[in-house]
This record gives sequence, C-alpha cells and structure tokens, in this order.
Amino acid sequence: MRLRRTLLFSGLGLGLVVATVVSAGSGQLTIAPGQVLGALLHPLGLPAGVLPVDQTAQSALWAIRFPRVVLALLVGAALAASGLLMQAVFGNPLAEPGVIGVSSGAAVGAASTIVFGWSFLGDWTIGALAFASGLAATLLVYLVSRSGGRTEVVTLVLTGIAVNAVTQAGLALLLFFGDTQAREQIVFWQLGSLNGALWRDVLVVAPVALVGIVISLTLSRRLDLLSLGERSARHLGVNVEALRIGTIVLVALLVAVAVAFTGVISFVGLVIPHLMRMIIGPAHLPLLIASVLGGALLLEVADLVARTAVPFADLPIGMLTALVGGPFFFWLLRRTRRRSGGWA
Amino acid sequence: MPTVPPRPKTLISAVMITALALLLSGCAAVTDDAKPTSTAATCTDAPADPLADFVVAKNPRALVGPATACLSGDAIPVPPVSPTPQLPVTVTDNQGTAVTVTDASRILALDLSGTLAATVFALGLGDNVVGRDTSTGFGQAKRLPEVTRGGHQLSAEAILELHPTVVLTDTSIGPWDVLLQLRQAGIPVVVLTPDRSLANVTTIVTQVAAALGVPDSGATLDASLAARIAATKAKIASIAPTKNRLRVLFLYVRGNANVYYVFGKESGADDLITSLGATDVAAQVGITGMRPVTAESLVQAAPDVILVMTKGLESTGGVDGLLKAVPAVAATPAGENRRIVDMSDYEILSFGPRTPEVLAALARALYAS
Amino acid sequence: MSAVVAQGVSVVIDGTPILDGVDFDAHAGEVHALIGPNGAGKSTLLAAIAGDQPTSTGTIEIDGRDLSAWRLRDLARRRAVLLQQSGVFFPFTVRQVVEMGRAPWLGTADDRLDGEVVAWALETTDIVELAGRQVPSLSGGERARAALARVLAQRTGILMLDEPTAALDLGHQEEVLTVARDRADAGDAVVVVLHDLTQAAAYSDRVTLIDEGRVVASGPPRQVLTAARLTATYRYPVEVLDHPITGAMLIGPIRPHKEKS
Repeated sequence: MRLRRTLLFSGLGLGLVVATVVSAGSGQLTIAPGQVLGALLHPLGLPAGVLPVDQTAQSALWAIRFPRVVLALLVGAALAASGLLMQAVFGNPLAEPGVIGVSSGAAVGAASTIVFGWSFLGDWTIGALAFASGLAATLLVYLVSRSGGRTEVVTLVLTGIAVNAVTQAGLALLLFFGDTQAREQIVFWQLGSLNGALWRDVLVVAPVALVGIVISLTLSRRLDLLSLGERSARHLGVNVEALRIGTIVLVALLVAVAVAFTGVISFVGLVIPHLMRMIIGPAHLPLLIASVLGGALLLEVADLVARTAVPFADLPIGMLTALVGGPFFFWLLRRTRRRSGGWA
Repeated sequence: MPTVPPRPKTLISAVMITALALLLSGCAAVTDDAKPTSTAATCTDAPADPLADFVVAKNPRALVGPATACLSGDAIPVPPVSPTPQLPVTVTDNQGTAVTVTDASRILALDLSGTLAATVFALGLGDNVVGRDTSTGFGQAKRLPEVTRGGHQLSAEAILELHPTVVLTDTSIGPWDVLLQLRQAGIPVVVLTPDRSLANVTTIVTQVAAALGVPDSGATLDASLAARIAATKAKIASIAPTKNRLRVLFLYVRGNANVYYVFGKESGADDLITSLGATDVAAQVGITGMRPVTAESLVQAAPDVILVMTKGLESTGGVDGLLKAVPAVAATPAGENRRIVDMSDYEILSFGPRTPEVLAALARALYAS
Repeated sequence: MSAVVAQGVSVVIDGTPILDGVDFDAHAGEVHALIGPNGAGKSTLLAAIAGDQPTSTGTIEIDGRDLSAWRLRDLARRRAVLLQQSGVFFPFTVRQVVEMGRAPWLGTADDRLDGEVVAWALETTDIVELAGRQVPSLSGGERARAALARVLAQRTGILMLDEPTAALDLGHQEEVLTVARDRADAGDAVVVVLHDLTQAAAYSDRVTLIDEGRVVASGPPRQVLTAARLTATYRYPVEVLDHPITGAMLIGPIRPHKEKS
C-alpha cells in the first residue's frame, strides 16, 4: 500500500506538471514553446536569456491562456475535493455535490443575474450571486432535513431532490423570461466552460479553493471515523453533527466558487475520488491529496481538448467530462458489483 | 463567462438578437459547414433592380401563392477606390469605452446578423477583413475563415491567430469575457450598437466608418444609402395602395422546435412593413417586441400576407408544412391565399448596406402580379 | 463511586414511552448484564447511558459527573461502545478499523502506545490473520470481532457492549464473553446486553432484568434469575437448573416432552 501510494502520488504529480506545461504551450494561437517560456519568465523577472519575446504573444498568453490554465487546475482540484467530502458525509461512494442542490442553486443565482441584467457589484455580481444562492440552497436542504438535532442521510438526499426540482423550475422560468442572448449564455453556462477565464476569476477561486482544501485535509481523520457509522464515530469523540454541517458548507463553498465562474462541470467530483479510492484505499488523508491532484489533472487535460479540438470553437467542457465520465462510471459500477461488499 | 456586457435597453436589439440567435442556435452548434448559408436556393435569376419593370398587381390582396423576395447576386456593392484609413483614431464605443484604433489593415467585424461585415465591405475596406461570422456569406466574404463557429462561444486564441488589428462587434456575440480578453491582449475592440432598424442603418455606417478612420467614406455611403432608401420608399409608396393597405404580419418560425413568434413594434419588422406601404398587423394589435403566437389572436388579426425567413420556412416544410403546423395561419386570409413571402434570414432584418435592395425585393414580392 | 449511575431515567421516542423510571448502575471490576424480552428497552438504556439517546427525565452520571457535562472527546476516553451493526461504509482494512479505536488518544501521551494496543486487541479477539483484509469482505462474525477489537483498542475503563454475541458461533461467543470477564477482572466496568440467560448467569456479577421499559429486578444472577420471575417476564415457561458437576446455572425454555415409544 505504501508503494502504491508513492507510485500514485508521483505519477499524478508528474502527470500534472507535464499536462500543465503542455497545456500552457498549446492553443489555437500558434506560439513557439520558446516564446511561451520567455513570456512566462520575463515578467517574473527571471533572466530568460536568448528566449525571444514577442510583445503581442506575451500579452496574449498572459491575458488569455495562462489564466485559463491556472483556473482549470483550481477548479479541477476544488471539484474533486468536494466530491470526496460529499461521499464521506453520506457514507456512500456514489454521492456527489449536485445532490444537495449546490449546482442548481448556483445556477439560479447566475441565471437571475444574466436575465435581469444586475450589476450592482460590477463584474463580481454574477459570481457573488451564484455563490450566495448555491450556499443558500445547500443550507436550505440541510436545515429542512434536520430533525431533533440529527440529519438522516436519506432525508438529506430526498430534500436535495426536492430543492433541485424547485431550482430547475426557477431556472426554466428565468429562461422563459430571458431574451435569447441570456438563454444562450445560461445554456452554455450549464454545460460548463473555462472560455473567457480572467485573472480576476483566478484571484477569487484560488484562495477559496486552497483554504477549502486545506481545511478538508484537517478533517480527514474525523471523516475516516465517520465511516464507522454516526453513532460509533460519536463514541470515538467526533461531533458528528458539527462535522456534517461543516463539511457540507465546505462542499458548498468549493462547488459554488467553481460553478460560479465556469458553469456546471459534472463527474469530476464523482469519478476522481472513486477511482483514487480503488487504487489507494479509503483513508481520507492520502485520498484527498490524490483526488485533488487527479481532479486538477483531469480538468487540465479536458480543457486542453475543449479549446483546441475544433478550430475556432470552444467545446463545453462539462460535455467532455460527462462523455468520458459517464461510460467510465458505468464500467466502475460493473466492476465493483463483482467485488464483495460492493463499496470498493 | 461570469460577466454580462452592459446592454442597451431598446427592444430592437433584444428582438433582433433573439430572432437570429434562435435561428442560429437551431442550426447545430458544431456543424462543419464551411459553405455560407445565406443565399436562397430559389433566387438565381433575380433582377438587378427589383422595382424596374414589373407589373403592379391591381389588387394585391387578391394575389394568390407564395413568393420569395430575392436580392440579385450576393455581392455587396463596393466603391471603386478603397479609402485610406486616417489613423490613429479614438472613438467612444457604444458602452462609453474610449478605444484607440491604430491599424485597420486586419479587420474582424463580427455580429449576429452580419451587418457589420457587410458595412465594412460597403465602405471599401473589404480587402482588410480577415475573418467572417456565421451570418456573413456574400460573395466577397465567402473565402474568409468562419470565426464564430460555435455560435456564441468565441475562441480568443483562434481569433488572435488571425492577428487582427481591430475588432468590431456588438453585444450579440459572446462570451463577453472573451472580448475583454482580446482587449487585455492589446487588440482594440470597438463595441457598436446592436440595434437594427431602418433608422439605424446610417448610424451603423457612421460608427463603423469612424472606428476605422474613414469618416468621409462613411458620410458618402450614408448619404447614398439615405438617398436610395428614400427613393425606394417613395417608389414603393407610389406602388402600394393608399386605401386598403396590405395587412402584413412578420412571423418567426422554426419547425422542429415548435417555436413561433410574432414580431411587433420596435422589433425592426414594424419599420420594415410600414416602409413597404403596408399595415403592420402586429403593431395594430398592440404587440411590442417578440411574442409567442396565440392562435386566436392570429386569426383575429387576419393578415393578408405573412412574412417569414427563408430557412425558417424550410424548416417547417415549406408553405404546406407551415399551414399544417400552425392551423391558425391557415385560417387567415394569408393562409387561405397561400400568401407567404419569404426572404433570406440574413438579409431581411439585418438593415445593413443592402437595405434599399431588401426593401425593393420585398415590395416586388408583395405587389408584383 | 460507581462508574455509571442512571437514576429515574425515562425515554420517550416519537410519543411512545420506551423506558420508564429506570435505575441502573455499574462499577469498576464488574460485568453487569442487561437482559429482557424483545422491545424491553435494553438497547435504548444502553444508548442512554452511552450518551446517544436523550432522556426525558432522570439523570445519568459517569464518574459522578452528569453526562451532559462531559466533553465528547473526554467521554470517548472514558467509555467505549460496541453496537450491533459493525459494518463500515468504505473498504477499510481490519487493522485500519482497529486503529480508529485509538482516535480519542491522538495527541495525548498515550498515543505512543498505539502500535502495542492495536496488536493486543487483534490478538485478544483472535483476528490477527485478518488484519489486512477489507472489512466489507468479511463474514458477519469476523466483522463483529473486528468491531470488538476496535472497542478494546479504545482502552477505556468502561465498556458498553450491545449484544456482542449476536453474530458469532458458539466458540467465539465464549471467547468474547471471556474477554469481557477478563476486562472486568482487570478493573473495567463492563455493561453487556445479552439474550442468552445462561451466558448472563455464567459471566456476569450482576444482572438487571428489564421488561416493557421498567426494571423488574436487579442483583446477582442467582437472586434475579428465578424460574417464576423469568416465566412471568418472558411469558414463556422457563426452567432454571444447576449443572450437575459445576453447579453453574442452566437456564432455558421448558419444552414439551415427547414420549418415545
């Protein structure tokens, strides 16, 4: 197991570095690798010697490609971490954040901004509103499904389904009222896209994602204990209710901040943690690290494909992750059914 | 994706954007269609001047059968000598941003209706255009790479690959963030008005000309357009009956999605119909902007002629298909006489430099016997 | 001072009274068995003294301090609970699960004993060779022993066991109860819910008989487990015999005797 972990971490780490480098060097704007390196190093004050730097290429890279490369890493990491946390709280490897209404809640917030043309926070309006409404939907689900100071997991799921239904209806209403430009924007946002990523976005997502992931790491031991069941975890000193609320809020934060800027990207939070668990087992600390690395890697590669596959076009990344994640998930299901216990 | 461009409040833009966006989003987002789709298949022998020698129907209301309004050829008339842009020039664009254009040698004019590109060509700067949007397919632009492939998902890098020196657009294409990225990468992006109407034809020309440093050519084109539009309107006025005007309704149809909208006041269609010497039924009934069809109000309105877009009509299966799909249409005088007049989607409401010809072609379709 | 003292405890769940004015106590060095028919409220009482189930009346004290005054982490170092369900949601190995029992001691001086304690727990419950296996792949009995190992690894002075013999075969049942007995002899207070009355008599110092939420009788096995009382409580004829050689109590149902021709 030690060996497996080491291999996995090194593999993921290496893959991530390679993917990021390749991604930074590729795009529909043809720039020689030397120039890319130069463009990267010059503004950082590092002497890049003979590397030529074309001014337009440099500004193009920094304005367009680099923020996108970084955002892909952050969003991938955040989504994978949130998926793992969700699975820990629900004690079920098939749980995913969409269940508790974060994504669709965030969708309603963002769609409202688009349809009503709100801009009271300037450029931050849509992000802030998606964030706020995603969090609100999650808390609503949580509070409604609580009774007697405890939260039944099944009730949580069912309430999440109800809230999802309501938010979907809200979204349909907004789509109806919106003009078609709004509709187009909303639809593409629902499919997820990193197109148009700006440094302003990165500056919001980065601290939230990083803080969220660090907090998750500190929760790992307690999440391990949660797998023994709620009562047993409590007997071992875990404040289960607080852990649950805290984790759910954390999930909402991580998902909402990703969704607010890149739309709904599915399957990352579902497939990555599951895959990693199959390789290195369920202990949450190493699993979280592996998932964060894996999620970042997946989204980096997916985004590379999304922005270079079709000339002059930018594929919706959520479509790509679903296309790959869906069949993969079916395969996972088939495989785990054969194993005893079915949870592997 | 998270920002929304400041949008003007007028309805025209909204409606126009709606119409063509509905249309273009219906066309598959990833069709690998390099061929421009704006020329109607049945318009191969349209006369150069639609209003020259045709027989005016004595009673246009009694006409039977559909007609297609055609433009002759698909080339934009260009001035004999290309103007030289006087640069640098700083303009305040439609959003109040001051944009400085220093080089107009590689132009990208992108919008939903193709109006901007057509205007650039009409100003004589067609040779400088390096890419086209999906709605631009006239002769001179056919060879250009299509930049707005995915409908509304511009790829900033792909655009930069063309090394444009100035980008003209309105807010009808997005995402807005990509345009911001282009600005941050140092490309001047001038945002023009998205409004499309008869009154705006010359305004757009003026704005485009100003941004490209050829205000004089713009003025000349404006004058010529204004004159030709006035002349055409006058000619039409002399043809159209003053009493018992034709009752015309603009209907947006797209067959498979069951999408039917009536275009009313402030939608551009109103302007068009009135200039054709007809009564805009939708405006009369009080419809503003774009409204879904209510069967009963359609029958109540009793239009004599229904105007549609060519591709929209094709998608419902032609006139027969339309009459079957929307029984309310069949119950109108227009339906009974099969008076469905169609025109290319990209021309009919684009209000670009070919506006006088569009008016004339429509008039011919409405009033020729 | 008794380790666990419950006085006048009543528990109402969804409007239904489950326990009514129950007194119970357990002190260090004894095995105290909770017995009674199904639905009597044994598990509920265990849950109440473990701190899982809120009570409507009465007090529960651990080491003389009211349960509500205990911090969760401190309580985890004082008492360990073995529940009937022993599954885990994810494929942790037996060793990992037993190590979880050491969680309350993280950061204290005792955590350097982790390795030792875990090894001892695995040996005591006879699951050393299962240490590397994934818990969901084990049989019910093996899982139950793994859970017991985890509880033992917690090394608390109070053990609360809810039917620890339920899934086990005869041999392992005896092993588990022997462990409970040994822990009590070493100074722990052991509360155990049992169904088998002979086992209760054999291994416990005191038994408390509960029926319909009330304590019927409490005290040493010989005093409480009389045929008349058991027959009345279980509403089934019960006989109490003495083992012909050891003199131990043998308790079982009276089965109709079939004449063999």
